[in-house]
Parts: sequence; structure tokens; C-alpha cells
Amino acid sequence: MVLNGGIFFSAYDLRTLEYLQKGEIIFKNRVKIMTVNYNTHGQLSEGARKFVLFNIPQIQYKNPWVQIMMFKNMTPSPFLKFYLADGEQVLVDVEGKDYKQISQHVRKILGKSEEVLQSEAQAKMQASNPANFGPKKYCLRECICEVEGQVPCPGTTPLPKEMTGKYRAKMAESQE
Amino acid sequence: MSARKVSVHAKWIIGRVIGTKMLKTAKVRVTRLVLDPYLLKYYNKRKTYFAHDALQQCTVGDIVLLKALPEARSKHVKHELSEIVHKVGRVVDPLTGRRVAGTEFVEPLSDLLVEEKTLSEKLNELNISADSSAAESPSAQTPTS
Repeated sequence: MVLNGGIFFSAYDLRTLEYLQKGEIIFKNRVKIMTVNYNTHGQLSEGARKFVLFNIPQIQYKNPWVQIMMFKNMTPSPFLKFYLADGEQVLVDVEGKDYKQISQHVRKILGKSEEVLQSEAQAKMQASNPANFGPKKYCLRECICEVEGQVPCPGTTPLPKEMTGKYRAKMAESQE
Repeated sequence: MSARKVSVHAKWIIGRVIGTKMLKTAKVRVTRLVLDPYLLKYYNKRKTYFAHDALQQCTVGDIVLLKALPEARSKHVKHELSEIVHKVGRVVDPLTGRRVAGTEFVEPLSDLLVEEKTLSEKLNELNISADSSAAESPSAQTPTS
């Protein structure tokens, strides 16, 4: 049984897609590897242990291309280390801190800010127009028969006689 | 085939050395967290990479940072050793710079103890000088003269 300020109620809530999608830390494109060194016993590593339990699944879900590795009981003090694309390394001391402080700090130094996320979402929306019909990969709908209130697909229900092509052709011939 | 010249997707990876029996090549096991689709839990998935290690300085069990080579060196070797992050048996704590064995330091933190002694000695000296300043000054002058 784990409590987190009322956000969830049991250990099983940590394993729901809803919880994973609630992750707030989305790393900048430069971050490639994240390493967490922590200890299994001791009060100083308590925040790091909670960070690993609560936040690591969320981070990995939101950043599938970042490699995350955990090391236990290697050094007396817990720390996080980030390896960036140009060879730069960022060391974050985590001793004695609370897991919420750690996640906020990480978000501040290496996470994408709100404005960047919103502008990316805007760009994505502009690229795909919902008014287009086409393959599922590129558009929302494939044919207008999928929309409620429009003529249903003649594959499922036959069209009324007046709409079929052969009736119209026959009428056009008989009139000439 | 030009596919061999194209460089690899993973530019930087961290892993553990599992074999060094090849000449100037280290076999490195890299673990990534993969979500099980039914249990919705992350598990480590292993993959082995071969890395070029020109100076053969890796031993089995080292934690190692690999960098992707611009061109594949051979059919399997597409990475090179960038740095040894944690050397097995000689792990160094990055915050203090001292050698560490598990959760304890190899040498005791002796800097602090030395400072304490000098502080207390200094206090004692101060007390002595405060009590008998007149007695000390002639005794200091006599050896010089």
C-alpha cells in the first residue's frame, strides 16, 4: 500500500497506463542516457528510492529512446548522472532530498519546458489536417461513409435504387 | 551493400563489460527498460554490443560508456570505448573523489579528524597564553639572546 498525496491509492496504480501518461518529465533531445546510483538501506537514499519507484516508469514511458540504468549500493552517496549527446555529463546530488524535489529539479535542468511542449503540439496539429480522408496512418478517417449522418457504406447496406450508377445510366439512356 | 557504412541508431550507450577475450575488443551487455504490454511493468532487456578498446584497459565487470563510431569497424563492432564510468574494485565516488567499496569509503574521512585536533590544540594554546602571557614573553626572549 503506497500513498502519494491522494493521487493514487495502491501499488497497482503504478502499473496503469493512466499513471504512466501522467509523467511530466520529457527530456530535451540532447539527453541520451540517465543513470541512477542509490542504496537499498539508509535514510539518505530514501528520496532516491522513491524516485526510482514512482518516477522512473513515467520518465521511461515519455522518453522511450533514453537509456535508463540503475545501480544499487555502489557508492555511499546517491546521485543521478545524465549523459548528453555532445559528450557532456551532468551530475545531480540526491542525498537527503525528497523524491518530489528531485523530479522537479530534473525537470527544471533537463526537461522540456511548457512553452516548448505546447509549440510542438501546435506544429503537430498543423501538419495533420483532420478534414483529409485517406489511409489510417496519415488521416483520421478513410471514407465519408464512416461519419454518422452520411450515406452508409454500400458494402454493408445496399444503396437506394435511385442512387445506383446503373439505374441512373438507364434513365439517362431512356431520356435521350 | 552500402548499409554497412551507415552508422548505428544508438550514439551513446552505457553497459557492463562481460568479456575481454578478444583482441582490443570488449563485449558489453547493455540493458534497457522495456514495458511488458500486459503487466505494464518495466523489465531490463539485455543486448550485447562489441566495442573497440584500443588500450585493452577493460576488465570483466566494468561499467563502461560507449560511443558510436562514424563507420562500422567490422561486421559486429560499431562502437568504441569512450570512458570507464565505474572500474570494478576501484569505484570512485564522483561527489568526493574518494575510493569507495560498496556503501563505505575505503579510507576513513581523515581530513575532518585532523582539523578537529588542530582546532582543540589551538584552543589549548590560546588558554595557556591568556593565563600566563608575562611568563611566556621572557622565556621566549632568553633562547634568542
